[in-house]
Amino acid sequence: MSESTLIMLQTRNLAAGYKLDGKDFPLFDNLNLNLNKGELVCFMGSNGIGKTTLIRTLVGLQKPLRGSTEIPSKDSVALVLTDKITSSIMTVYDLVSYGRYPYLNWNVQLSAYDHRLIEESIKRVHLEPLAQKRISELSDGQLQMAMLAKALAQDTAILFLDEPTAHLDLNNRVEIMNLLRTLCRTEGKTVLVATHELDLALQTADRIWLATNERKILEGIPEDLVLDGTFDEVFRFKGFDLKSGKVSQEPYRKKALQLEGQGHEYLWTKNALERTGYEINAASAIKIKVTHKDKAITWNLSNENTEINFTNLSGLLDALAKD
Amino acid sequence: MKQVSYGKGWILLITLLVGLLIANISIGSVQIPLSKLFLSLYTDQPLFSDILWHFRIPKALTCLLAGSALATAGLLMQTLFRNPMAGPDVLGLTSGASLLVALVILLGQFSTIFKGVLFHNSWSVALAASLGGGLVFILIISIAKYVKDNAALLIIGLMISAATSSLVSVMQYTSKADDLQAFLIWTLGSMGNTNWTEISVLAIVVALGLGISYGSIKSLNSWLLGENYARSLNINMGRSRLWIVVATGLLTGSVTAFCGPIAFVGLAVPHLVRLIIPVTNHKILMPAVMMGGSILLLFCDLVAQLPGSTQILPLNAITSLIGAPVVIWMVIKSKRISV
Repeated sequence: MSESTLIMLQTRNLAAGYKLDGKDFPLFDNLNLNLNKGELVCFMGSNGIGKTTLIRTLVGLQKPLRGSTEIPSKDSVALVLTDKITSSIMTVYDLVSYGRYPYLNWNVQLSAYDHRLIEESIKRVHLEPLAQKRISELSDGQLQMAMLAKALAQDTAILFLDEPTAHLDLNNRVEIMNLLRTLCRTEGKTVLVATHELDLALQTADRIWLATNERKILEGIPEDLVLDGTFDEVFRFKGFDLKSGKVSQEPYRKKALQLEGQGHEYLWTKNALERTGYEINAASAIKIKVTHKDKAITWNLSNENTEINFTNLSGLLDALAKD
Repeated sequence: MKQVSYGKGWILLITLLVGLLIANISIGSVQIPLSKLFLSLYTDQPLFSDILWHFRIPKALTCLLAGSALATAGLLMQTLFRNPMAGPDVLGLTSGASLLVALVILLGQFSTIFKGVLFHNSWSVALAASLGGGLVFILIISIAKYVKDNAALLIIGLMISAATSSLVSVMQYTSKADDLQAFLIWTLGSMGNTNWTEISVLAIVVALGLGISYGSIKSLNSWLLGENYARSLNINMGRSRLWIVVATGLLTGSVTAFCGPIAFVGLAVPHLVRLIIPVTNHKILMPAVMMGGSILLLFCDLVAQLPGSTQILPLNAITSLIGAPVVIWMVIKSKRISV
């Protein structure tokens, strides 16, 4: 076996959940999962299915109901949770320095090495100019980056992140996922991310853990899970076609159009027409031809009698609606 | 990326502390001029020397000890509960201490032997107050395990406070006038009732409490991140919670025993100090808060002496009178308040 299949974490018949009045309420049962070295795994599942509970159980914040988890040592996992930090005057630097706490004695004296690791972690998430800013002055994305830097400063083989990209804009989401992927590829870290971002998970994860309603976790590489219909079964998508990656559109106008063109302008025109309720059908008498010349896009609308040119899509849509 | 050292803040704190310490010793119903202050300590001016050694210096030392103890206890509570409104008096610790001290002082009429043994012994009053504060705090902590919401916990603290206060009222109602007066004077708070024996008792207990507190700086820092993160950093939360309980109980209880239930210092000082030295690292914050507490009590005591007159005001009136407007001003100015 190559180095990439070195197992970093393994569960044996693990049951995770909570106890109430002495009775077990397992959210997951009989889990036999593993995480390999250098692997980015996205952990997906509907809201409330118990992703956070499982993460807490895997890192030992919570006792398993049954079974066990094997990790190299308790110090080998760093966490990014959804817990809010209430202290508003804490600086980014101080927050990141918490990553070094497992290595410090009671006196919390940071060594030169600790300071170097803290500064490197802050650099990795591009927060150097904000290092002495208070965390209350940061945006959501910057705060999430700072939490990630804290976990990086902890310098562990395994990273667990619970919804690190929630409430962030697309740019920040992509940046965080790219950084995590780089960590796996270049430093051989093992990363488990609980996330709802289906599109990002499909494009970045090496493997997916998919929580089902039967207290199981299905696993596999993203593409396999899409093609064999596992995702559809688990999520029961309402109005979303995973295989085309698009929201399904109802052609409510009962009007078909013929579309001709190429590249991005073709795709976005198709998007606009389907979104506004037209059906694209090559047999239609009404024809739209998209042409791209010298950075200018022209939409040519024609039927048996007339022919009009438009320079933007909204003009075309207005004309179609008046028809 | 280098960290700020807050040199100006430290200079301000040290200047205030030294200045107020000298002022506190030299100003009172008898003015001792600065020029004669140090000379009087050891030369044969019996009047000044007596005043200094038997009254002024013990009082100033008590201010130093009580101020740093109460302010540190407030800091511990605010950090543990991650709540800026927490403090030894808000959560009913002081009322708990009052209850047991009231038991010792007021129940004297039922058992004169009990009273004779306990009331004249500095250790036992300190013990009673520490025990009272500690018991209430343990109660609060065990409720805190079930009630995760900090605001709810504060309300529970206030209720405990109300309940113990009413028990004290019942005892007051049924006690003798002499005992009642002794107890009432105790509740008004004073820095001037300590002799050297009591100061040494206070100093030992406070030093122990401060030692435990300073020994807990790593876990205190970690509490600021919340329990989950703290445990992920390998902090033993159960043990650290216990140490913080013990330290807060010792600090609040001992001061309450010897100086009465002093209001406001524990709540206000950590916030005031964070205005001057805005850090969250307890390694830096805690010494600053200790100095801040001493400064505030030295100042309040100075005001309570009404310099130039022979009258003395109750200390508790002054701490609240000065503390309340300062905290209001601070909240308005910074528009927010946090631990």
